[in-house]
Amino acid sequence: MKIETLGRHFREAYRGIMKNSWMSFAAMGTVAVTLLIFGVFLIFAFNINYLTKELDKQLAVRASLQDGMPKAKQVEILNKVKQNPLVKKADLVPKDQGLEEMKKSWGDANFIEGLKSGDQNPLPDIIRIEPSDPKKVKELESQAKSIDGIVATDSGGGVTQTLLGFSGVVRNVILIFGIALSVLAAFLISNTIKLTIIARRKEIEVMRLVGASNWFIRWPFFIEGAFIGVVGAILPIGILLILYQAFFDTVNSGAAYTVIQMMPVTSLGAYLAVSTFVLGAIIGISGSLLSVRKFLKI
Amino acid sequence: MIEMHDVWKVYPNGIEALRGIDVKVDQGEFVYIVGPSGAGKSSFIKLMYREEKPTHGVVLINGVNVKRVRDWKIPYVRRRIGVVFQDYKLLPHLSAYENVAFAMEAVETPKREMKPRVQEVLELVGLGDRMKALPSQLSGGEQQRVSIARAIVNNPTFIIADEPTGNLDPENSWDIMYLLEEINARGTTVVMATHNKEIVNTMRQRVIAIEQGVIVRDELGGEYGYED
Repeated sequence: MKIETLGRHFREAYRGIMKNSWMSFAAMGTVAVTLLIFGVFLIFAFNINYLTKELDKQLAVRASLQDGMPKAKQVEILNKVKQNPLVKKADLVPKDQGLEEMKKSWGDANFIEGLKSGDQNPLPDIIRIEPSDPKKVKELESQAKSIDGIVATDSGGGVTQTLLGFSGVVRNVILIFGIALSVLAAFLISNTIKLTIIARRKEIEVMRLVGASNWFIRWPFFIEGAFIGVVGAILPIGILLILYQAFFDTVNSGAAYTVIQMMPVTSLGAYLAVSTFVLGAIIGISGSLLSVRKFLKI
Repeated sequence: MIEMHDVWKVYPNGIEALRGIDVKVDQGEFVYIVGPSGAGKSSFIKLMYREEKPTHGVVLINGVNVKRVRDWKIPYVRRRIGVVFQDYKLLPHLSAYENVAFAMEAVETPKREMKPRVQEVLELVGLGDRMKALPSQLSGGEQQRVSIARAIVNNPTFIIADEPTGNLDPENSWDIMYLLEEINARGTTVVMATHNKEIVNTMRQRVIAIEQGVIVRDELGGEYGYED
């Protein structure tokens, strides 16, 4: 397509929008609401993905050793654990080290100190085992449990699974709402384009008669729809990023130990903006397509 | 060149508008299509610029079978045809110049080529001094001239005119006919449907008469042959 022709299509699309300005404005508003909901879904989805990866990285089996076990026996069990092909890495964590780590992660040393009964450290010596494949952590846990001298195991996998299951439900509900609203927005854009087609039927007729190509006739309507979609995306992107930043700051200013590890705004911003713009354009073009197919007889 | 072989046009409501039409119009001819109202003239004309497809038979426009040609290629077939209507079909918000330029813009002619060509055709139709006028500021005859200028601006091989003098007084009608005659003299084929007995009988060109969807007469230098 020639640059001159492209310029003409944009001018015509602009004319169409201005001619039905109120309808275009309403369509943009609907797209904005739709994308706001979709944006929440996207933020949720991006964060679940991020959180899953982060949890996978941290996933480990903590195998508690029998209390009072001699060091030599502990090393013997550690070597036995390391022979398992499901094990990526295994380390001995004596109870004192365990307590220090807990103090750091909870950020409240006095609370942890309070757990001590006198000078007694209530934690057991453990072997921390990192799986070679995070999906097989449960299998690894049960194998570790069968080793003589290991009295208890914990992988924390249950928490992850519960979290992912709950997230999945919330995600699906948002997704269904988002899709329903997208269809609504596409129909509203379709109606706006229909009005433009009706207003310009004489021009379209003349264009057909003099031999304008089908795409020459259609392009301004697609640009008009895409423009409504993209402009409708700007507002929700701004709102979502501001709200996300505020939520992110709130969560991170709380306790140092938290299971919620949110995706940083800098990483999320680009994904969110691109996805929302693309979605806006898709909704807009779909709306145009509906009208062009139904009302534009070439 | 336009050729039709055993062409039938049957509408969804069962009306047979054309029944077994066989005709050939050569390059450079001037042909009148005559016949009573409802005879099938409009369907015949619409087949020529592929507004309608034949139900049966073959329509060749400049050698292209319009029934078989893919939809996206139709505009390229139409670029070789100029169409003129009784109601002019001008865009009311555009000036005479812009109406003609619109036809060139629609076929993506570079802007630098538009201006001289639009001026040339508007001068040819005698509107060199009315280029900036809106259709509402032009008389019926002038509007039809703009419509003819728009039809010829892309250098078509033939002009199809559907009752171009139908809304005009006799003086303006004759002006339009002289204009079409001049365009024809430059080598462009003209096919014109008309009810104007005086024009047909005076001009003495080829006349094709259609009645009840059938060609009943096809004669060179023919007459109108019907009472008004």
